[in-house]
Amino acid sequence: MVAPNATNRAIIDCLPASGERPEVVYRYAGDRFLLLEYGDMVLDLRMNFRIFGLNDAIAKAEIKGLVETVPALRSMLIHYDSLALSPKRLVDTLKKLEENLPSVENLTIPSRRVQLPLAFEDRHTKGDIERYVKYTRQDAPNIINGHNIEYIAQYNGLKDKAEVIEYICATQWWNACIGFWPGLPFMFPLDPRYAIVTPKYNPTRPWTVEGAVGIGGPCVAIYPVASPGGYQLFGRTIPIFDLQQRNPVFKENPILLKAADRVEWVPVSDEELEDIRARVHSGVYQYKVVAYEALNVKSYLQFLESVKDEVATFQKRQAEATKHVAVP
Amino acid sequence: MLEVIEGGIQTTVQEYPGRVGYLDLGTYPAGPMDHFAFRIANLLVGNKPGTSALEVTLGGLKVRFGDRRIVSITGAAMQPTVNGSPVPTWQSFEVRPGDLLALGMVKIAGGFRSYIAINGGFDVPEYMGSRATFTVGGFGGFQGRGLKKGDKVALNFAPYADKLAGRRLRNQLIPTYASEWEIEVMRGPQADPDYLTAEDMETFFSKTWKVDRNSNRMGIRLEPHKWHWARTTGGIAGGHPSNILDNGYAVWTVNVCGDQPIILVADGPSLGGFICNATLVHASTWKAGQLVPGRDQVRFKEVTIEEAIRMARDLDAKVSEASVERE
Repeated sequence: MVAPNATNRAIIDCLPASGERPEVVYRYAGDRFLLLEYGDMVLDLRMNFRIFGLNDAIAKAEIKGLVETVPALRSMLIHYDSLALSPKRLVDTLKKLEENLPSVENLTIPSRRVQLPLAFEDRHTKGDIERYVKYTRQDAPNIINGHNIEYIAQYNGLKDKAEVIEYICATQWWNACIGFWPGLPFMFPLDPRYAIVTPKYNPTRPWTVEGAVGIGGPCVAIYPVASPGGYQLFGRTIPIFDLQQRNPVFKENPILLKAADRVEWVPVSDEELEDIRARVHSGVYQYKVVAYEALNVKSYLQFLESVKDEVATFQKRQAEATKHVAVP
Repeated sequence: MLEVIEGGIQTTVQEYPGRVGYLDLGTYPAGPMDHFAFRIANLLVGNKPGTSALEVTLGGLKVRFGDRRIVSITGAAMQPTVNGSPVPTWQSFEVRPGDLLALGMVKIAGGFRSYIAINGGFDVPEYMGSRATFTVGGFGGFQGRGLKKGDKVALNFAPYADKLAGRRLRNQLIPTYASEWEIEVMRGPQADPDYLTAEDMETFFSKTWKVDRNSNRMGIRLEPHKWHWARTTGGIAGGHPSNILDNGYAVWTVNVCGDQPIILVADGPSLGGFICNATLVHASTWKAGQLVPGRDQVRFKEVTIEEAIRMARDLDAKVSEASVERE
């Protein structure tokens, strides 16, 4: 819970929780930004859906003086020109939008479905992990047989590598926000029956190949460029960022994914991936992006309800397994 | 055309306000680290204040001009010379084809970045709507990178105008670059009492912070500090009380990563999972751009939103013809 703003000078205003609406807190982030937050600090995709509902409402309201919005898990950073739009007027407008926002259940979120090929334990992430063992940490418990997937299996109580792959491909991955680095997605499983979790590397890995796919906590990310990283790797996909805009999909800007996209993994072999990547760069590969299949939150929540017991069973299995597995 | 003889430590083409509107795709705006000196440099050569110009970090740049131009140099003092003779700063002057402009290194005097504006501006392509160089992503500006020996950088056509030479910023408006700075910030978004203690914030405002030598266009690191923290852990977001569920980072915010405060600047990360206990205001961000890593010291002064807006209006008002006088 948040203290009242009389004792918290970072807070501009609050809107108390009401019915299904969470508490909304409006915070100063300097004189050009405002941070809006929903409810308590818990990971709940419904809060993220509501953020997108609000983002839509803000776009439609065409608020003069508003520069841009940055949706995140349960918050939104709002960039505005305080010389043209006073923070008080902005908060008043946001509160009004909040009052008129449909309940989460009645939201339909514009969302694209993006199919990406994924080569599990490909040659490049293997190489990264090999170098990590050689130069950074020899006894990393998260590396078994030269890769991270068997560790992911152990940590989540899954049988073997094949079952990890099955789980990763069984769910769509909801891109809750983009950030940190240009185009980097933060993705969460829409089907909680397959919600694997892992701790992160310790220490972090000095190298990760562009296109590597990994998991940290419950979140899956794709590395847009080669960089250091801490996520457990499971394979590699095709470019999601291309500075040179070599493929038509990057025509507008070099960034493929947007917040509220859903990623589906299509398993391919290491050789197939190499071939697809070459075709991406020569511009002939057509990215499989299904534009604007809206996410209907009501039917999604009904689905969540229907799998509740299975989720609880899996979580128990995970918790039991985790007890016996070393953390990096 | 401009031929680069020596690129210096880090010289980039920048544009103000930079690549605005892409934060939700993970891209900070880039642009000049000191937007005041940058805009004044353009003002003096008759450009619009946001026109593409050079940001020179630490110094060492040498360039040869291919045509007759009006040039101005503002920001940190780098003892500029043309063909070996000193030229004034904060004042426009003429260069002729073949002239060699050379900048020395920043001296004890203070400041870390200087700006070179040329009438017409730079003819580099826009990338995602801006010519600003984003050093982290390697895009924008001149081939997405700092200038190097041998580069030939095109300038936009500009009719030569004698009357643009000899324009200078009124003396009392030239900022002083000391080694001890006071930087105005607003508290939050994550301050006391919910993330840090009131005592932590008091210390934040009373302490003099050393600027770490490991500072650049992504972040300005300050010395680590043992905070008391209002929480014992970051809960679901991580073990450390500086952890939060990832949220967007305001540009020019003070990010507290574990013990270390880092001011996130022009080329910083757009989103992350650490608290930000204070945020620089528009009228004070230029000071962060002039901090000398490993030497300067900073104190943060809290201002209200009303004060911040007034300061922003005052500062922006200085970027106008009324501030210019003739030699």
